[in-house]
Amino acid sequence: MTGEHPALALRGLAKRFDGTIAVAGVDLDVPAGSFYGLLGPNGAGKTTTLSMAVGLLRPDAGSAWVLGHDVWRDPVAAKRLLGVMPDGVRLFDRLTGAELLAYNGLLRGMDPAVVDQRAAELLDVLALGDAGRTLVVDYSAGMKKKIGLACALLHGPRVLVLDEPFEAVDPVSAALIRDILTRYAAGGGTVVFSSHVMEVVERLCSHVAILAGGAIKRVGTIGEVRGDRSLEQVFVEVVGGRTATGEELSWLSR
Amino acid sequence: MAFPVSPAATPAGPVRAVSARHFLRLKLRVMGNSFRGQGWRIALFIGGALFGLWFAASGFFLFAVPGMTGNGRYAVLVAAGGGGLLVLGWLLLPLVFFGVDETLDPARFALLPLPRRTLVVGLFTAALASVPALAVLIATFGLVLTAWALGGWSAGLVAAVGVVAGLLLCVAASRAVTSAFASMLRSRRVRDLAAVLLAVAAALLGPLQIFGLAALRETDWDRLTGVATVIGWTPFGAPWTAGIDVAQGRVWAAPVKLLITVVALGALLVWWSRSLESAMVGAVSAGRAPVRRGATGGAVAQLFPRVAGWFRRDRFGALVAREARYWWRDARRRANLITVAVVGIFVPVMINLGGAGFAAEGEQGMTMSANDSSPVLVTLSMLFVGVLASVTLANQFGFDGSAYAANVVAGVPGRVELRARMTAFSLYVLPMLTVVAVVLSVLLGHPGWIGLTAGSLAATYGAGLAVNSFVSVLGAYSLPETSNPFAMNSGAGLAKGLLTLLAMVVSAIVAVPMVVAAALLDDAWLWLALPVGAAYGLGAAMLGAYLAGDVLDRRLPELLATVTPRR
Repeated sequence: MTGEHPALALRGLAKRFDGTIAVAGVDLDVPAGSFYGLLGPNGAGKTTTLSMAVGLLRPDAGSAWVLGHDVWRDPVAAKRLLGVMPDGVRLFDRLTGAELLAYNGLLRGMDPAVVDQRAAELLDVLALGDAGRTLVVDYSAGMKKKIGLACALLHGPRVLVLDEPFEAVDPVSAALIRDILTRYAAGGGTVVFSSHVMEVVERLCSHVAILAGGAIKRVGTIGEVRGDRSLEQVFVEVVGGRTATGEELSWLSR
Repeated sequence: MAFPVSPAATPAGPVRAVSARHFLRLKLRVMGNSFRGQGWRIALFIGGALFGLWFAASGFFLFAVPGMTGNGRYAVLVAAGGGGLLVLGWLLLPLVFFGVDETLDPARFALLPLPRRTLVVGLFTAALASVPALAVLIATFGLVLTAWALGGWSAGLVAAVGVVAGLLLCVAASRAVTSAFASMLRSRRVRDLAAVLLAVAAALLGPLQIFGLAALRETDWDRLTGVATVIGWTPFGAPWTAGIDVAQGRVWAAPVKLLITVVALGALLVWWSRSLESAMVGAVSAGRAPVRRGATGGAVAQLFPRVAGWFRRDRFGALVAREARYWWRDARRRANLITVAVVGIFVPVMINLGGAGFAAEGEQGMTMSANDSSPVLVTLSMLFVGVLASVTLANQFGFDGSAYAANVVAGVPGRVELRARMTAFSLYVLPMLTVVAVVLSVLLGHPGWIGLTAGSLAATYGAGLAVNSFVSVLGAYSLPETSNPFAMNSGAGLAKGLLTLLAMVVSAIVAVPMVVAAALLDDAWLWLALPVGAAYGLGAAMLGAYLAGDVLDRRLPELLATVTPRR
């Protein structure tokens, strides 16, 4: 099955909110075993696209498949293969880290003994063991990202979908997250993540898609998209930025 | 925040004063924007407004009766009694049922260089611009009519001033009390004290109860007028009776009563501004909680609290364990739980002990001892408690907010989800209801009625769970992510209250067979009530979870979207 189907396939996904088009028909094939970066400026529709791809947001049109299972027609099979870390979504943060992991593990129908063992390992590796009985609501932003990642990894998913895993994370934690993701991908897993940090994407990803204005602008392996320029140059050119001339905002300096 | 800033240190350019008008316009704008493109919200709001109008009109006529009939004898009674009930309602209902409209969240103003006085006056003005406040204003203008009819222009004018002051008092009372409770419930230290205070607040329903019941006995009219006169000298009745006093020739009383109102109003605003400050600072940072150690056992063992320790370590068990932890750890849920406990014990005791005489007169027309309640009355009061307990779940997914995404991602089947939520809530509520059933039957002097009380409670509670699973799936709404557990979202407060009322009415209707059985069957029912009621309740709850679970399965992402707060 793995050989025939892409890890994640999106066809014509579209969503509009109150008359504004957030995502206008996204087609995407994420090959199994790839490390896929979804790049885009703020408001490009990254979160909306990923939410529709994992079953958190019902699309107006289009469909999504995880390893050949339709996310919207056969959600149980598709969700079993998925590990998701949404962005801008709260965790059940009035639990401690260990409790949260146990909750997610049992929710996935895992054996309690396996949950215990994996939770202990994850907490240890992610340096969250020191937090003890602190509630997740009292965690720092970086710790919250890490426990979110642990929740997504716990049941050993085949495909990992992460929304902004490196946002608001200090360099030490970011390096740790990078290591874990690299190992996961090396072990045959597929990682899809959104970001607007070029440096991380350039370092990690085998494939890249640039999303702007709700549509895919560039897609391919990192070499194809980048060509002989830097990823940042391509990105700014595709998205179309503006630079300050120095005339406006003169009152800022006095 | 409060270090002195001299005018010279402020940024260049003249600083224009911020007035209450700005807050008012901000609130109206926020309300307007929250309606944009949301047809159902507009519909709910219009429904709420119509209900408010209906309430206002009937209130107006009630207050105007003494004036229209030209009978001044009961004018004080109507003004002090009705007005007092209004103030009490504004004081207690937000705590118990509806919450307060927090369209303008005080925490959002924490960074603005506003003097506290400006902030309080502004938020207060904004709070006045609401449907309930408008309804009360219209209703109490019946008093102005009464005063004018009885005492001419001057009396009418004083009454108008009094009525407006009374409205201000109502709104200030509700804000001050909810804000104070919110800051108490936030702090881990005095949270139990808050529970006790809430109990006292609910006990205030007692005087209301006695007043209402006594009013139904005609012989006590004159004694009641005496009570009303006394109430008229407290902040509860002072603003409403000032005009009547002028009309009846006690001109000297009017300024004194208005002064009482103003002093009370000032005290409430000062109290509010104190707790407001703690709300503003508290929202920015509650301080890092100390690292708690002493974790024992594996992750799974830690998840299951002792109360849910005997559940299997599977999906259902995990959901129950998480919910059980949340009912205690989440301030908003805990506030609801405490309310249910307090009201659930006080109200039936008062209805049955205080109302017994009335019920006996009304039904059989013969005199019984005051302690003799009837099975029907007991069943009815249990109906109220069961419905009140179950309606707590009317917005159970709203409590979770966007965290519910975890369950959507994991693909939890709807039926399991709903059954687990019912079970976890019942872990707390069933022992509470058992206490209510036992205490009530013992207090009434009928220990043999335990079966009756417990059976009615079980049936109503179960029926309510079933009804509220549908309400929670179909009528969910997002709660603001503030630290105030009583806060409601933009402008929809009254409409949401209506939804709650609807859920309560439907739950009560579903449970009506228990009342009918109590009325028709005699002694046999005392024994049958418990098994029949328990079976009825359990069956209803399971059926509700089965049917509503199906609906939930088809609406997972939609439900998640409705409970996610818009930012």
